[in-house]
Amino acid sequence: MALEADRIGSRADTFLFLVCVSLSLVAMALPASWRDPMAGLLRRSVLAPFLVLQEQSTQFQTSRARFIALERQRDSAALAATFLPALRAENERLRGLLGLGERLGSGYVPAEVLHQAEPTSPLTLVIRAGRRQGVRALAPVVSPDGLLGTVDEVEPGTSTVVTWAHPDFRASAMAADGSVYGIVASAGVSGPGGTWLLELRGVPYRQTVAQGTLIVTAGLGGVIPRGIPIGVVLDTAAVASGWERTYLVRPLAQPAGVGHVVVLVIPADADARPAFAPREPVP
Amino acid sequence: MKREDRLPFAVLLVALVIAQFTVRGRFAGERIAPDFLLLALQLYAIRSEPGAGAVAGFLLGLLRDALTPASFGAGALAHTLVGYLTGWGKAVFFAENVIANGAFFFVGTWLRNAVVALASGTLRGDRALHELLVTSPLQGLTTATAGIILLLVFRGWPAVRPGVQ
Repeated sequence: MALEADRIGSRADTFLFLVCVSLSLVAMALPASWRDPMAGLLRRSVLAPFLVLQEQSTQFQTSRARFIALERQRDSAALAATFLPALRAENERLRGLLGLGERLGSGYVPAEVLHQAEPTSPLTLVIRAGRRQGVRALAPVVSPDGLLGTVDEVEPGTSTVVTWAHPDFRASAMAADGSVYGIVASAGVSGPGGTWLLELRGVPYRQTVAQGTLIVTAGLGGVIPRGIPIGVVLDTAAVASGWERTYLVRPLAQPAGVGHVVVLVIPADADARPAFAPREPVP
Repeated sequence: MKREDRLPFAVLLVALVIAQFTVRGRFAGERIAPDFLLLALQLYAIRSEPGAGAVAGFLLGLLRDALTPASFGAGALAHTLVGYLTGWGKAVFFAENVIANGAFFFVGTWLRNAVVALASGTLRGDRALHELLVTSPLQGLTTATAGIILLLVFRGWPAVRPGVQ
């Protein structure tokens, strides 16, 4: 074993280290208008083959899981297989997506989620659908459970999604019956049990929202269509000097748990409520 | 590193990169599955000078930041630190001891996640604590386990063994 003490902290090493740290700090300080094109360029060039590899692996995994599920459903051993939680969850998600697609009819783009290993992965997702598939910036991204986020950056074959957990996420929202309107944003702190929560802000003080009320998108602002489920009211978070109330909302769709999503490319003034209406359970 | 060892070592690094984008997705817990890219970085840094480890870490971190723009720059910073400290630490602490190597992989993973979580400023409160005390140690454990298995499997291969230059 050859340990070379003269390698510890040589000037060249220290210089390179400081340069890299400085460049990292510069990268952190870059405005979004510089940062996003740079990240997009890297995804389209150096990372493109790896993203294709990951996509194919995801597709293979999904196909295999579905094949196994279908095969086992054909024979009597299917019952045992359905007790596998991961397989059952994957089945339910795919069935949910299929059901959602049928109810939407047209105006949607299905996509795989390419999860990453970093702790901030749930804040932004990379999905395997882009301009070529008809995805456009600010398009809402949903799972069968509800709203996941909006498309931020669109590239030819991939897109970046800002999820509801991201500090910059905002959406106009309302109670499902239309009685209360507000703005939904990330709560920024974890809720009970370490779950991420949302806040429904700007609700007039005189209006109260009962626990368990379903919150859906309001369709105001011309970005996200009306009627996409967001979450369920948990509790009052704050009351601002008698002017407005803020409510904690438990999100229905969890970014970290989805493998496939649907990008809605329907007009912003459309009504998405029929697509998310309660449906009959799948036999 | 001997010239004849360079090619096998490069093949191993490429295999780890491919594993990151193919095999890793098959683990049940996405957030705690072993990080093969970080493992490749640490294996490279162990066999390089600290400056080269820092540069490799910066480039790897920057690429990973492109996939998670929520923490752009934080990944580069974190991987730079891990690359440099691994290259520096191996000269101080390293022995041809599998457990010591595993500890390096564990600490490297935890440190990377901690720096990303804190420097990005997007994880706060209980979530940051959960990340630092639960998720990151678990990911460090799985990454260290994968690294130890790798070292044991290739223990007869000088290119992979730390301390063999």
